Amino acid sequence: MLLLQKFKIQGHSMEPKIKDTDVVLVSFIPFLFKNPAVGDIVAFNNKGKQILIKRIKKIENGRYYVRGDNKDDSLDSRNIGFISKSRILGQVIYKL
Amino acid sequence: MKSIFHFILNNFFPEKTAYAHCDIPCGIYDPHSAQVAAHTVIRMTTLINELKASSKEPPFEERKRIISQVARLTNIKEIHAELVKHEVRVLWGDYFKEEHLKEYPDLHGKVFKIMKLASKAKQEVSIDAANELLSLVQDFAEIFYKTKGAEPVRVKTVYPTGGEIVFHK
Repeated sequence: MLLLQKFKIQGHSMEPKIKDTDVVLVSFIPFLFKNPAVGDIVAFNNKGKQILIKRIKKIENGRYYVRGDNKDDSLDSRNIGFISKSRILGQVIYKL
Repeated sequence: MKSIFHFILNNFFPEKTAYAHCDIPCGIYDPHSAQVAAHTVIRMTTLINELKASSKEPPFEERKRIISQVARLTNIKEIHAELVKHEVRVLWGDYFKEEHLKEYPDLHGKVFKIMKLASKAKQEVSIDAANELLSLVQDFAEIFYKTKGAEPVRVKTVYPTGGEIVFHK
């Protein structure tokens, strides 16, 4: 688990908050002190296929339902289901 | 201070890609192809049913021609019934989401029926099955357009089948 990672965004599912080609910093440090919460924007591993950035919409039985802010154009928990905490790489803490 | 922070970030942190997208992403979905394929199934079924021999024991050349024609028509019927299934499966699996099901709880049932009817249209030479298949695909198309916020309309086609096709306003 890396404490700080830099990601360039590809896609439009988190618009208007995060746009295509934006660069963001993702850190696991916040989650050392608290669990991911509803409203947090997180980066997570989509079963080794790619890293996705989405917002946590609800939490059930310790698993996270994530959605794109731009719901018309998003691959998220509507398709891939709930995700476990172990797949979350960190929270988006800064947009460059 | 901010520029030093950015300098450090830009030079000492490798940049990876994180995706905020759908499958492609494209957002290009349309139930038109499924409807055209369903019309084709009707047309092929009709053409097979219209084939006639000149007698109970037609000459060899005529038999050969009819068998060849049945084979060609059946081949196209098979291909287009499978195309209906493919097109509907893609929309059902890739486009429709949980929130749509809340509004259209019979969507799964309709898709299941379309799959079964398309198989029936392949197995048999049944104009009833072919017509019912088109009718269900039209219902499916109407649901699709409604979820897109578009008002569906049924338009009479210029196809030899004479039926309608669902578009939107």
